[in-house]
Amino acid sequence: MTEPLTATEKTSDNPILWVAKPMVTAARQFARSLLHPSTVVYPFERLEDPKFRTEVGIESGKPIGVGPIWDNYRGVHALNIDTCISCNLCAFSCPDLCIDMVTVPGGDPKHPKKCPQIDYGKCSYCGFCSDACPEGCLSMTTRYELSVHSRREMVFPPEKLFGIYQQKLPMNPIRVERPANEDRIVLEPPLCIGCNACSRDCPTNCITMMEIPKPEAKPGEKLPKRIWKEPVINDSDCVRCGTCISVCPKECLFWGSRK
Amino acid sequence: MSSLSLYGVSFDLVHLLLTSIGSVLPYPLDAWITNGTLVLVLSVLVFAAILLAASMINTIVLIWWERKLLGRFMDRRGAMHVGYAGLLQNFADGLKLFRKHTFKPAEADTLGFFSGPTAYMVTSMILFGVLPISTGWNSGSLPLSLLLALAIFSFAPLFIFVSAWSSNNKYSLMGGMRSAAQMIAYEVPLLLAVVAVVIVSGSFDLTTIVTEQQNYWFWGPLFLALVVFVAGMLAEMERIPFDLPEAEAELVEGWNTEYGGMLFAFFMLADYLRGLVGSFLVVLLFLGGWTMPSWVPGALTNFPLAGIFWFLVKTYLVFGLFVWIRASLPRVRTDQLLRVGWNRMIPLSLAAVFLAAALVTVKCLPVFGCLPSPGV
Repeated sequence: MTEPLTATEKTSDNPILWVAKPMVTAARQFARSLLHPSTVVYPFERLEDPKFRTEVGIESGKPIGVGPIWDNYRGVHALNIDTCISCNLCAFSCPDLCIDMVTVPGGDPKHPKKCPQIDYGKCSYCGFCSDACPEGCLSMTTRYELSVHSRREMVFPPEKLFGIYQQKLPMNPIRVERPANEDRIVLEPPLCIGCNACSRDCPTNCITMMEIPKPEAKPGEKLPKRIWKEPVINDSDCVRCGTCISVCPKECLFWGSRK
Repeated sequence: MSSLSLYGVSFDLVHLLLTSIGSVLPYPLDAWITNGTLVLVLSVLVFAAILLAASMINTIVLIWWERKLLGRFMDRRGAMHVGYAGLLQNFADGLKLFRKHTFKPAEADTLGFFSGPTAYMVTSMILFGVLPISTGWNSGSLPLSLLLALAIFSFAPLFIFVSAWSSNNKYSLMGGMRSAAQMIAYEVPLLLAVVAVVIVSGSFDLTTIVTEQQNYWFWGPLFLALVVFVAGMLAEMERIPFDLPEAEAELVEGWNTEYGGMLFAFFMLADYLRGLVGSFLVVLLFLGGWTMPSWVPGALTNFPLAGIFWFLVKTYLVFGLFVWIRASLPRVRTDQLLRVGWNRMIPLSLAAVFLAAALVTVKCLPVFGCLPSPGV
């Protein structure tokens, strides 16, 4: 049936070709669809339902439909609040600006713990946030039912995302590897005043303030008024969140290439 | 008329009602109420009401049947959620259309615009009343009921044309024109195919035609006529592949473009009512009507209302054939329809008439009768 018609067939009015063949095809389709129509009666049947998957002959966990749309499906996020380090990277990477870092209980009062809150009215489900998350605590699950009654309900606070995490839904396993020649944070020493702000706010505590020798003042020269310490960054622990850069009062930290 | 005839039942019902009312009334009133004229008039009305209810329920169930079948042909499920397997979906749709505002385009002709759909509906209902469904369910014995049915059937293009013209819309007008043009192509072969049946059965009375088929159904010897009749019936009912007048890909919705609400429902119901009646005609003329072959066990044919039951089963199967054709074939062009009508169907139907005459002359009809029977 799939071959194109020849020129004689196009102009003929052969009843076998124009009536019998289509009717046989339709009857074959009818017989096939009588047992298993392609329609999934959605609210009552779901493709993820294990019973239904065995009925249509798909093993549990296997992709369904055209292409692998199941295991790497990008649905609503799951957030593990316990491992979140409040690094802000998810909010930085979000192209829709739908992630806000909001305070959650549990941090110390001086430096409250902040976790992402996602506005699903804006979210485009691109998955950049879960790619950017250095701790793997923000992932995308396979849940797609997100209907709510108001726009306000579309904003999911961290507690709600944590609740989704606790349901142990299947998660999108795809994660972007960090490049070997990643940029690192470098210090321009003359500007530093040793204020400890970077070390204090670093989410991974990879910055230590090391004492540096106080130079001898030459005659007639006034030494700068500062603490004689400098930050030393442990590159293997650093997650490149840039918090230290944003908190530095003298702007002496910046991104530099790895030598 | 047998005791279970439809008119007899409605007459008895009205008579019982009126006598029981009359028994509690004082003298001048009870004489007036049990008067024969009043009973006659009321029983005719009750008869008509039963026919109306039967035709509407059958039509709506037929739409459901088409939706379900077409759904499976298209790998869907059809109506699912209202009632059992969506059986009540069309009642809900009808109620929705009934509630809707009926309007008329500003430039449309009022008389034609409103009388067109009404007349279309009314003639289709008359058609339902004319056809016998079983030995009891008929409107009396009309000697020319086949001719009457076909005559009423051919009214429709006129009313379609009236409503299309008065809609004052170019698409409606084109649809109406096509409907009128199409009629010329299919009406002649359709009637010639019927002539073959009339030659074999020797009667224009549908009841007699069915009685003639008690020994063998006509679809075997008159297969050629059946093919022509089904094709012509498809065009008569304006179903795919001959639904040129409402070709929704080219003419928005054809001749009912401007209609909405209940008027649209009239057209829709009348369309399917004509589909039902067309299937009735196929069953009556070729598939033995309410009779069943003798090899069917008696338990299946002797229960009350068995005639109506088997008639409806056959009707719905024939309509299933129409749905199958709708699901398979593309819509033809006007010139293709005319060519098929004049160049193929008329010669075929003439051949069918000749064949029927030959079979009757040499008396070998039962040889081709496809169902064994006690008489042969």
